Formats: sequence, structure tokens, C-alpha cells
Amino acid sequence: MTNGRGNRTAIVTLIAILVGIPLTIVGYQYGLRPVFADHRIIDITARVPENGGFQPDLVRMEVGETVTLRFAADDVVHGIAIGPGLGVDIGQVDPGHVGEITLTVDSPGIYTYYCNTWCSPSHWRMRGVLEVVDPDAASPLSSPPDPIIEALVAAGIDIDADPQTVDGIVPDRARGQASVGSVEVPAELLEPDWRLQHTPEGGLGLLRAANRDTPDDLLIDVVAYLWSNTVPTEQAVELFAKNCAACHGERGGGDGPVAESTIDPPVAFAEAAWLRRGDIWYAKIRRGGMGTDMPNFGTLFTVEETRSLVDYLWFLSFAGP
Amino acid sequence: MAGERHRRHCGGGDVDRRRDPAVGVKTLVRKPPADERRLDVLGRMPRLRRVVMSRSFQPVSMLLLLAPFALAIVAGLLGTSAGNRNFGIVFVWIVWWAVLMVLMVPGFGRIWCTICPIPAPGEWIQRRGIIGGGGKLRTLGLRWPRRLRNMWIQNVGFLILALFSMIILTRPTVSAGVILGLAGVAVSMSLLFENRVFCKYVCPIGGFIGLYSMAAPIELRVRDTQVCVDHRSKDCITGNERGYGCPWMVYPGKLDRNLDCGFCTECLKTCTMDNVVINLRRPGADLAKPGGGKQIDEAYKALIMLACSIIYPAVLFGPWATVRGWASVESLWGWAIYATAFLSATLLFVPGVFWLTVFAAQRRSATGVTIRQAYREYAHSLIPLGLAAWMAFSVGFALTNGSYALAAVSDPLGWGWNLFGTSETGWTPYLSGTAPAIQAAILVGGLLFSIRTTLRVGFRHDPSGTTATRAAVPVVAFLLASTLALLWLYLG
Repeated sequence: MTNGRGNRTAIVTLIAILVGIPLTIVGYQYGLRPVFADHRIIDITARVPENGGFQPDLVRMEVGETVTLRFAADDVVHGIAIGPGLGVDIGQVDPGHVGEITLTVDSPGIYTYYCNTWCSPSHWRMRGVLEVVDPDAASPLSSPPDPIIEALVAAGIDIDADPQTVDGIVPDRARGQASVGSVEVPAELLEPDWRLQHTPEGGLGLLRAANRDTPDDLLIDVVAYLWSNTVPTEQAVELFAKNCAACHGERGGGDGPVAESTIDPPVAFAEAAWLRRGDIWYAKIRRGGMGTDMPNFGTLFTVEETRSLVDYLWFLSFAGP
Repeated sequence: MAGERHRRHCGGGDVDRRRDPAVGVKTLVRKPPADERRLDVLGRMPRLRRVVMSRSFQPVSMLLLLAPFALAIVAGLLGTSAGNRNFGIVFVWIVWWAVLMVLMVPGFGRIWCTICPIPAPGEWIQRRGIIGGGGKLRTLGLRWPRRLRNMWIQNVGFLILALFSMIILTRPTVSAGVILGLAGVAVSMSLLFENRVFCKYVCPIGGFIGLYSMAAPIELRVRDTQVCVDHRSKDCITGNERGYGCPWMVYPGKLDRNLDCGFCTECLKTCTMDNVVINLRRPGADLAKPGGGKQIDEAYKALIMLACSIIYPAVLFGPWATVRGWASVESLWGWAIYATAFLSATLLFVPGVFWLTVFAAQRRSATGVTIRQAYREYAHSLIPLGLAAWMAFSVGFALTNGSYALAAVSDPLGWGWNLFGTSETGWTPYLSGTAPAIQAAILVGGLLFSIRTTLRVGFRHDPSGTTATRAAVPVVAFLLASTLALLWLYLG
């Protein structure tokens, strides 16, 4: 029996299956799709840092260029955000799913795409660089120095010194709020920048000098109120929840779900607050902690976001249980 | 027409022969025993017969299945590592496995082997064509060693797959590697040996399909063995212009168990006497046959499969997360402990307990059957329960994870595609309240089927029946204990 024609058809079908299927898939994904897109599509695979983190971990684009970034979570749930200042938070991407964002960046700079959902013990290392260049600019990209951190360094203040704690002081913020009108508050204490550079204990000294007959415990309550009287922004609360709470705990008690896995116990803000300066908290957030598991967030958050986070930390410190 | 005349002359194998005017009514008044009754499926369904008799039937089926398997391999190698979103894992280990174990094997026996695409490329190379019929095979013509003409390689192969199943079932690259590996071995063996040596002696999947196909209600047999004896040219072995000699190296005239037949339908095509039929029969007709299971390898296959059917749900669904971690090779030491326990259970403990069971059964009977023969034959009583256990496992697995298929078919590689608009379908376990009841019903059915097989073996050893029931008690106790263990796992 001859089946010449049938055989030929079958062989063509076989080749179409064995060669056509892989070619079609790869050809569409890496050939047709980019060709037919009206802007660049960049596929980024997200794996836990132990298995490679973001691949690629460097993306270059030009100012004004529209690019679609597609983040494919390959192993566990990752939260994808891009900062600082772009306001991009794709949210959680489940394993095997793709989260994408199409964006056009108008300001040249070094941005960071990062995971903001605890994904592994090395979660904080899960970052990639989005370099936005202006082809007309002559100088390469560089980050300006941070004046707050520069000032701390110039003053010889050790950002990484262990925070001291003072036992026995449990201020009542609500009582402070109720009493603030009945005491004389020196003008410095009402200045956010002054408060940033001084500890609450330093503020208490000024308050004592101005209110010599007032009981100390009341002045303590007033200081606690003054240091935490900025209403937390939604953005600060969200940033804290996504980036800090895993270690420091939801209420800043140093009792986050992964607190036990860090080199040193994460700071409980209420314990360290009385002798802590806001600018040191600010520096710690932006620069990270040397010799600890505290990562740097300066490449993720804007200065304003960091300041609002510091305000939220004071709020957590004196908010009470 | 000549074939049709011959079929009638030979009396056919139909249950309903009394309706056939060509056959004398008086000789057929006595109804044959239930186990011997047959219904010639293709005789009743001429359209299906035309399809099956076509040379294109098997290769087209294989080609159709090759496509999803090729996609599964591509997805496994290039797609997401997330198994539940990768077509390679979802198609093979959820969809295919469920269809195989819940529908194909229990309903149609070896039908998967008919259409399996894994050995197809090797066979097509041997035949120098895909559709063609007859002709000399192109191989090195080596002979498969006599000492390996059994199921031991299949047993070992299955145990290796089972040992690493937590990895294979969850990691797409490994899964793709396994399929490619099997296909590679199949092609290599096709170049070295004639016919389906891989399928018959090596394929770890074909091994258990063959074993459980003996419980199926479908069989391929000859109508009249005497016709085969008298037929000198034996086209079913040598092949002719209509087809190839049996690729499974079986002489259909002596075929009496599904285990030996690959259901490739070549003999249906080559038989010039139209003496080969596909019968509908009473399920399990091959079990407990005299002479069935000539070697201990087959008994071991039944025992390994039953043991694995208990270990699998225990590890996958049981409350022992540590054991699951060991099985997933999270640590080498943990896996070593798991592997030792797994192999001890499948190769020593369960076979050992069953040996004691059969020993007790023999002590309670007064037959002249040796313990070795009794062991082989009573092992057949494990087949229905083992099949039921795998069905129960597969039903639960498919109902729990079946919804992943909707997403995987739209986005087979987890690359963010949405071909059919279902890629964002969430995980939804189906019939979660009813599944345990379905599983329990399947297990109880399997138990009853197994008990019946046990009694058949016992009555064959002692036709008088005096000791058959007594002898069956220990085996039934073994079956009951296995069933209770499975019920506990599924019902909690």
C-alpha cells in the first residue's frame, strides 16, 4: 500500500508541530510583539534575590520615551514599585502572573524598581536600576548630596550608634495635646526643622526652662505631643506598611514577622524615641544601617516621602499602645 | 465481505449471537458465563470500525496529541517556574493524568498506548514514514535481552519517577526534562531494537497502564483461536501491505490478557481472516486467570502501585509538612530519609506484609498451590483496589487543581498572554464538598471488585470451594486495611 501523499502531509504536520510551535511562541514573544508595539516593551523576570532577583536589573530609557515594563513573578509573590518620585506601585504580582506599567519619565535620573512585599530573607536586595537619561544633556547622571545627611556627617554624629533608651518614661500624648495650651512653648519647639535636629529630651529642657513650676510629667506629655503632632499621611502609612512593617512591626514595636531573622533586633520606635533625633532616623532610612539588616531607602523614596515617614515614626513612638 | 462471511462462520464473539440468523439458535440457547460474554464493539459500530481500520487512525491521533505535548515541553523549558501557571505542569500532571487515570485506563484499558505520542517519532523512524503500512523496519535489529523481558525496568523506572514526583510535579523544567528524556530513550531504543521494545519493557507509564488495563471492560482478542492456528501466513506477526507485524511482539492467537497488548490495532488491519476483534466485556476478565502473572515482577508492580497510591496522598495532602519538605528535596538528609522510607515501604514492607498475608491464606487452605504461585495470583486482587486508589487520588487532584487549566490554556508560559480571555481565572476547587464522597465511593467499589477477584483466585485454587473462602480472609483483611488507610487519608 502506498501512502505517499498521506505520509507527506503527516510529515509536514509533524515538522509544523515540532518546529512551528516553539518558533511561533518565541517568534511572537521576542519578534512580532515588540515589532508591532508602538513603544518599547521590556520584560523583567522577578525572582527572590537568592535566585537572581530582577533580570534584567538595569533598564535604560530616555527622557520622554514611553516604555512598558512587564514584571513576571516567577517564584513567589512580589510587590513591584518604582521610585523615587514616580509614584509607581504595580502592587502584588502572583507567581506566574505579569504586572505591567507603561510610563514616560520626564526627569532624568536614577530610579529604582524594587520589591515591596517581603519575599525572602534577602528581600531588601531585590532591586533594579531604571536609568533615565537625557540624550541632550552633556553630563552623566549623578545624585545630589543630601543636605541633612551631609550636616550629620559634618557634625561628626554617628548615624549608626545604637539608640539609647530611657526607662520609666511613658508619655501620655493625649494629655499632652490637652495641656499644650496651658504651658509656654518656646518657639523653637514649634519649628519642624528644629525638632528634626533635636531629641525630645532636648525639647524637654527648653520646656522646663520656660515652665519652671509645671510638673515634669506634664511637660513630658507636651513634648511627646509636639514631636508627634503631624497627622500621618496615607502615603507614609502605606510606605511603612509595605517597606518597614515586616521587621519593625505593624505598630513599630520591633516585632515584625521576620524580626527574628535580622542580625540585630529591629528598633522598637517607642523605646528609642526619647533620645533619638529625627534627622538620624531620616539618615538611617535613606542611607541604611551599617552592619545591620536595615536597607537603604534613599534610592526608593523621595526626600518628602522620607520626611513624612519620619513624622510617622514619631507618631508611632508616642501614639501609645 | 469475505471477512464478514468468515466472522459469521466462526460464530463471532458477540453476546447477542442468538440474533444472528446465520447461527443456529439451538446451539446457543445456553447463556455463557458472565466473564466469558463479549460484545464485538467494531462489529456493532461500523463507522468506528472504518476509523480504526484506517492506517491514518493511529498516526493522526498521535500527531494531534503531539501538539499539546510539544507545547508542554516548550512551556516547561521557557515558561514560568510557577508550576500552577505553566501549561507543561497543568496539562501533563493535572489534565492528562486525570483523563488517563479516571477515564482512559478504567474505561478503555490500553487506549492511551494507542495514541501516545512519546514513542511515535521512534516508530516513524523505524517505519520510514508516518502513515505507511507494512514494509521492513529500519533498526540495528538488536534483540532485547531475555532476562529483561519482564516488568522490572518499568517497576524501577516508576519508582524513580515516584521518588522525585514532588519535584517533577511542581517544576516545569524538570517535568519537560522527564518527557524529553522518555521520548529520547524511546527514539534511541527504536533505532537499536525492532518494534515497541521501549513501550513493552521500559516505559514506566506503560507498565502500570498495562497492569490496570486488565481490569478494563475493553479487550482486543481473536474471535477464534483455531482460525489463527490454521492460518499459515500469520500476517499479524509478519505484517502485510495493510499493516505491520505486531509492534508489541505478541501473537494475537495466544493473547489472553490486556497486559501484553499495546492496543495499536495493527493486527486488526493485517488479519486477512478478519479474526481480530475489540470486545466489550465484563471488567476484570483478565484477572485471576490461570497462568496469569507468570513472574513475580507483575505482582511487584501491583504492590508498588498500591503502596504508592497510599503514599502519594499522604505526602501531598496529609498533615505532615515536614515529610512534604523531605519529598520536595528541601534538604539532602531529609530526602535521604524520605527515599529510604519510600523504597522500604514499596519494595519491602508492603510486599512483605502481603507475603505474610498470602502465607496465612495458604495455611488456611489445603490446595497444592505453592506460596510463590499464590503470591503472584493473589497479587491480581490488588489491581482493582490499586486502580480505584489512583482514580480516587486523580479525581481529588483534578477537582482541586483543574481550574488552573483555564488560566494555563490562555497563558501557557505565564508570560502575561491572554489568548482566550481566561488567563486571570482564579484558583477554584470544584466540588470540594462532594469530592471525598466520590473518592470514598470509588474506593469502596474497588474494594468490592478486589474481594471478588480474591474469591475467584481462591475458588480456582480450590474448585470445590471448601477452603476458598477461608483462604480469602487474610487477603480480604489486607485489602480492607489498605482501603481504610485510603479512606482515612481522604475523609480524615
